Amino acid sequence: MMVFAPSHLFAEMRTSNIWGLPDCVTDQGKDIDRLFIVITDLTVLVFIAVMVAMFTFLIKYRARRGIKAIYSHGNNKLEIWWTTIPALIFIAIVVYSNGMWGRIFDPALIPKDALNVEIVAEQFGFNIRYPGSDNVLGKSDDSLFSINNKFGLVMEDPANKQGFTTYNDLEIPVGRAIHLYLRSKDVIHAFFVPEFRLGQDMVPGRTISYMWFRTTRTGNFNICCNQLCGAGHYNMQSKLKVLSKEDFEKWYQSKLPATAQNNSSKNPIVLTSSAAAVPAKMAVAPN
Amino acid sequence: MSQSVALTATPAEGAPQTHDSHGAHGHCHVHHLTLGSLFFTTDHKGIARQYLYSSFFFLALGGLMAMLMRWQLGFPNQPIPFIGKFIPEPFVVDGVISPSFFNMLVTMHATIMIFLVVMPILIGCFGNFIIPLSVGAPDMAFPLLNEFSYYVWFLSAAIMFCSLFVHGGGPNSGWTSYAPLSAVEAYNATKQGQSLWCLGIFFNGLASIMGAVNYITTAINMRAPGMTMFRLPLSVWALLITSILLLLAIPVLSAAGALLWFDLNAGTSFFIASRGGDPVLWQHLFWFFGHPEVYILILPAMGLVSEIMPVFARKPIFGYKAMIIALVSIAFLGFIVWGHHMFISGMSLFASAVFSATTMVIAVPSAIKVFNWMGTIWGGSIRFKSPMLFALGFVFSFMVGGFTGIAMAATPVDIFVHHTYYIVAHFHYVLFGGKYLWHVRRHLLLVP
Repeated sequence: MMVFAPSHLFAEMRTSNIWGLPDCVTDQGKDIDRLFIVITDLTVLVFIAVMVAMFTFLIKYRARRGIKAIYSHGNNKLEIWWTTIPALIFIAIVVYSNGMWGRIFDPALIPKDALNVEIVAEQFGFNIRYPGSDNVLGKSDDSLFSINNKFGLVMEDPANKQGFTTYNDLEIPVGRAIHLYLRSKDVIHAFFVPEFRLGQDMVPGRTISYMWFRTTRTGNFNICCNQLCGAGHYNMQSKLKVLSKEDFEKWYQSKLPATAQNNSSKNPIVLTSSAAAVPAKMAVAPN
Repeated sequence: MSQSVALTATPAEGAPQTHDSHGAHGHCHVHHLTLGSLFFTTDHKGIARQYLYSSFFFLALGGLMAMLMRWQLGFPNQPIPFIGKFIPEPFVVDGVISPSFFNMLVTMHATIMIFLVVMPILIGCFGNFIIPLSVGAPDMAFPLLNEFSYYVWFLSAAIMFCSLFVHGGGPNSGWTSYAPLSAVEAYNATKQGQSLWCLGIFFNGLASIMGAVNYITTAINMRAPGMTMFRLPLSVWALLITSILLLLAIPVLSAAGALLWFDLNAGTSFFIASRGGDPVLWQHLFWFFGHPEVYILILPAMGLVSEIMPVFARKPIFGYKAMIIALVSIAFLGFIVWGHHMFISGMSLFASAVFSATTMVIAVPSAIKVFNWMGTIWGGSIRFKSPMLFALGFVFSFMVGGFTGIAMAATPVDIFVHHTYYIVAHFHYVLFGGKYLWHVRRHLLLVP
């Protein structure tokens, strides 16, 4: 029976507010929550109003001896009112929500200092690639995907000789913008972190490069795949740690191989085999 | 039968009562039911009954699958009581549902409930039963095609059923069968089951197209003298609009199913990115069918509610023409909202914004319908009989479904509610209201 139990769970346990949305820890997430609450309040209000009307009518106009139904085919004036008013409300929601949508995904608004991180999903896990200290992710090509090249890296690109990779372990600094590059090796997966109010399908053959976010506090979370991706889908998740800037720097430096650190103190990161995901083929010969 | 006649013959804006007498004295009577006519008949009521009885089996099967899923979710990795013993390995190991069997349950519960339960009952059964009686026709326009359509549907149902028992088990890539999971054997491990799913969908589509042609022709061409379009009961209007949706949407699904079959079996690569295809193309094709499909499932139920309410409130429907305009605009708008299933699929972000706007617009006619139902019970003399209670329950559950739809139509909210139980709850609320109704109509009309 334990065979099917999730082998790892990292996320924060919710101890309060279990009926509401999970805690929100990103900037955009707060805007999205506000929109969600506006719509929910509005619809609940209308729902209650209609239900009150319905039950009032049901009680008031129940069949009684000697009282006949009112003969009416309708009222055009009413029809016009209850078409126009909802239409105006819906237009307002569209303007509000699509304005926000445009802001969230406006490429001009991605901060220049955002940390670039690439995530390549596969059945059933997340391969994660960090850039070197110059924050440049090397070129990759989906046609180069292989068992030994999980990121489809173009090895001729010098930028690919820097940085490092992890498997199911995304660690990010709090307060710094993170710019995601989402890809998939086999089927459609999804990058979903409910606390970040982020969700995005990872589609094979495409690089989704419009997602970015900035966290507001540290903590342990999970990336879940929430697009059905096969028999192991139920257990496809990755840990996600939001660390303080110092802790992140420590972790980031610790991922560097000793040889690389000796080469240059300014630009110390080379492609390593520190993560199991990085195959021998990709290891770079020491200078 | 007298009750059914009273229901279907509700006059709209003073329609003549000709079909009332027709229903009572027409040539097709329920008491002519024989064993032979259960299997072969060209009588529209007989065919309606065929759809109904066959669907009962699948209703039980689909419901059982839902219960198995709920068992796994409620009591994770506990052996299924009693029936766990009867499901073989590797689907169930020591009585516990395996992950790929769970995916199969998800897939087949949805496929069965939509294509083998709700559609045949709401459209195949009620469409056949109600349309000729309500328009004053002796039978459907093409009685033999009608029966042929039932048997093609039955074939598709048989294929779907068989897919559960082939090597590797039934299809397990979701009822939406997103490629490339569904299109590559190495990813889904159920090539045979998935291929049969494609075939089943293809034949199901053929049956729907034949049925739709029949309904449209009957409702437009076979009306009794004096029965103008604007005197048709709203249930017939709803079924007519549904049939037009079927005729336009279903061929897309059938074609997509065929393409997926070729990807699986013939080495083509329409949807496989690694061989040059595009996975998002499948989603576009599927949802171009999939969204009208939602209205295919809900419009007949709305039509029935629009007919039950006037009868039990003892007054005509409020805003008959507004209801028809709402129906027609839902049908038209239903074809330009499919992208709201794909906000986070990697589709163009601008397209998402446009689809979000059209989705908000389609909420307006749905709201009009709810307001008109409220107008219908206003000032009535309301009888609380079972059909009325079910119709009121439908309004409640449809409103919960509709209102949650507004939240997820807002693109930023959809970013994080997509793929979650918020969506699952939303569409079950919408569709369950529809399913409610056949229950009551079955009691009134169809059990001989």
